[in-house]
Amino acid sequence: MIRFVVIGLFLLAGLAFLLVAWLSRRENSSIPTLGDISGFVMGYQVGRVPVGRVAVLGFWWWAGWHFFAR
Amino acid sequence: MEPPPPASVEVAHSWDRPLVVVPLFALVALVGGLFESFTLSANLLVLAVGGAFMWLGLTGRAGRRPAPRRLDPGAVWWLLPVLALSVLELATFLRQSFEDYPTLSLIADPFLEGYLARSAAFFAWLAGFWVLVRR
Repeated sequence: MIRFVVIGLFLLAGLAFLLVAWLSRRENSSIPTLGDISGFVMGYQVGRVPVGRVAVLGFWWWAGWHFFAR
Repeated sequence: MEPPPPASVEVAHSWDRPLVVVPLFALVALVGGLFESFTLSANLLVLAVGGAFMWLGLTGRAGRRPAPRRLDPGAVWWLLPVLALSVLELATFLRQSFEDYPTLSLIADPFLEGYLARSAAFFAWLAGFWVLVRR
């Protein structure tokens, strides 16, 4: 039973993700798109080290490894 | 050695077109779908592809779209799904009772066992990587 509740919660979170993505793409939306958020985060640097870029790209790399190779 | 282009500059390469990139990603995804998890082939492919994308993303050789200098206050709405997913994933992982409290990857595993679904997911991962590399 609890397994299906957990899966349902994951589904709800996924739907919330899609909803915010859709709202962000409406005309004159005050919600930035996921692409803009990613670009903003990736622009973060400490000195000359592109910390945000390494973190976002590294996270995506790890996600691929986790789902397809681990 | 030619210096990498500065950040926030669109660089158009002859190969940077959907007609080239989409079939290439499809080919890699179709190969990636053949490899099961925990195999050397799967690890090598993900490491090679990810390494190439990291190199392209960090050097800026694939070009970059201009990034916003600041975000609208509406950006906080993104915290809702991101925090929900993060808290759920962390809570299920810490439970260590994966039958009752499956993590996202455990839920996805049965779907990723089929060749077509695995290839499609691999393609989505590649496409997402490509979008991020150019940001």
